[in-house]
Amino acid sequence: MRATWVGWALSVLGVLAAIAGVAVMVVLGPDSRLTTGPHAIETDDIAVVTAPEVIRWADVQIDVLAEVPVRKPIFVGLGNAVDVQDFVGKAQRLEVTEFKRPWELGTRDVEGTANLPGAPTALDWWIDSSAGLGGASISTRLPDQTVSLAILSVGSSNLSGLEVTVAYGVKGGFAKGLALLLLGLGLVWLGLLVVRGLRAGDGDDLEEEVVYVYIDEDGVEHEISAEEAARLDVVEEVELEDADALVVGGPTPVQAEPEPTEPVPTVPQFRVPGVLTAAEIAAEPDPLPVPDTEPAATDEAVVYVYVDEDGVEHEVSADELAEFEIVDEEDKP
Amino acid sequence: MRRLLVVPALVCSLALAACAVPHQRDDVTLDKSAARRAEVTDVFERYREVRNSAIELLDPKPLSTVETDAVLAIDTGSFEVSQRLAKTQKGDTAAVEVTDVETPRFKKYPLWFFAVVRDGALGVNRVQVFERSSSVAPWLLTASPEALAETTIPGIRRKDGAALTVAPDDGVGMSMSPQEAASAYAAVLADPEAPESAAFAQDSFIKQMRGAAATNGGLEDVKFTQEWEAQDVRYALRTADGGALAFVTLLRQDTYTVADGLTVTWPEGSPQQAFLSEGISGSGKLSYLHQVLLHLPGGKGKPRALGQYGGVVSGENGSATPAR
Repeated sequence: MRATWVGWALSVLGVLAAIAGVAVMVVLGPDSRLTTGPHAIETDDIAVVTAPEVIRWADVQIDVLAEVPVRKPIFVGLGNAVDVQDFVGKAQRLEVTEFKRPWELGTRDVEGTANLPGAPTALDWWIDSSAGLGGASISTRLPDQTVSLAILSVGSSNLSGLEVTVAYGVKGGFAKGLALLLLGLGLVWLGLLVVRGLRAGDGDDLEEEVVYVYIDEDGVEHEISAEEAARLDVVEEVELEDADALVVGGPTPVQAEPEPTEPVPTVPQFRVPGVLTAAEIAAEPDPLPVPDTEPAATDEAVVYVYVDEDGVEHEVSADELAEFEIVDEEDKP
Repeated sequence: MRRLLVVPALVCSLALAACAVPHQRDDVTLDKSAARRAEVTDVFERYREVRNSAIELLDPKPLSTVETDAVLAIDTGSFEVSQRLAKTQKGDTAAVEVTDVETPRFKKYPLWFFAVVRDGALGVNRVQVFERSSSVAPWLLTASPEALAETTIPGIRRKDGAALTVAPDDGVGMSMSPQEAASAYAAVLADPEAPESAAFAQDSFIKQMRGAAATNGGLEDVKFTQEWEAQDVRYALRTADGGALAFVTLLRQDTYTVADGLTVTWPEGSPQQAFLSEGISGSGKLSYLHQVLLHLPGGKGKPRALGQYGGVVSGENGSATPAR
């Protein structure tokens, strides 16, 4: 019963995983990311920096493209917030204090010097960075630490005319969604296998079933109901190999054991002398193999035959034999 | 049937473990490990390269790109001595054996890390501190006291893999704070009868300095005074015993007042002779910097010095005429 529960649990888990996989595939699309932009950011400062509490996600793949007109030099970098805040701490900048998807910014102006303390391209602590003329982009996975994103002007220029395009998603997300779907389907299949396997397996978990069988004098079995069986009398109880059989008057109910054995024939309520009943036949041990030797001597059966005037043979009993004259006697082969 | 369940469960677990699942971080406080292991290796390699260049040139100027503060002052003095005495210094060609690196976590600059470097040739362990004062500054060596190889450096207490630091004014669980210890240690060095003497173990550094002071004070017709001053403690780490390992920089000033007609001179080849080649007539002063590695045991244990690195950094002959 517990294994059955596990099977159904696996199936439900599989369905949920499959749904999640489909959802991931639908949301992220084949390129595994959501893209927004380009969005204009109104500033003539030398730096646009996210506050430490803005980027709260980890293990998200982000792509940032920053563009400025007339091929002005620009720098984009992602770094630990301790580094970035120290670097831009004294510079005049636009600080992003809030970000909501897909694109809603909260900002504040921070007064400071008109220059950065050094060239951002000369620093070794950026997690990812890029510089270019007119545009720069990075593609990186957000680490599990507090980070800040910085868009900086290089040299004597500023960031007027800045436009930013952001994409975020999961690297290989579509493939992972597909994998999740397949995994879910696999779990469903596995769960169903577990459930079906138990039903076809051993009978420990099955309820006992009583089958009442009536066998007529010709040895033909007839299944009868419990009510029909109750109307009959028990005339004999026969000890069988794997089951106890109650012989009832006429039809006989058989208390079937869980083991699926063949129903044992019962005896009729009257007997013909010299003819074995079905129960007696069933109770007999298996016949021994016949040795390849001379057959053992057995009692000879004597048959008395009366032949009438038309030459037709009539079998007579030993008691009737006194009325006839024996004319011939021959040995059986 | 059980095997049938275990295998897919194992596969699922491995698959999920291999996937970096995007998640939201609850903790967005400023926090950074001072340096990664690879960064530490780069710092040491660069330091050795620059130091060997300076030794080859017999010029201390390149050292300013890898050293600062007291270490730079002591090494610059050492180079000046070599220049004046036309002596070459021994290059650092031996393999660097960094036996321990401890990187604390910081919420803001400056960042610094602690390392123990074994110098097998000299039989000492250099207990060094490299500091990055700002996000645009390079890593510079700021402290390098030396302990004998057989001296046990206390283990550093860690949390989440990062060494724990101790604020200079934090004396919880110890007989005194690192800054109090530095000031008291300077007082004990300046005056053996100082009330703080009872609070310190009489370590070899104290004995050595007192011996030198007694020798100088024994010069006939020379009035000798020695002053000690502790600078602000900037680096202290929590030790496994609940105490602290503090890097204390001490300024020592030896003043000589010589009777008229006499001159105090030093042996040829000594650092003092390099700074005061004419000796001292009238009065003169030699300044030293000593970096002391001070262990403050947890509980009521007495602080004691485990190692030191120091030397002459300047000399003045006459009341206001510097010799250098």
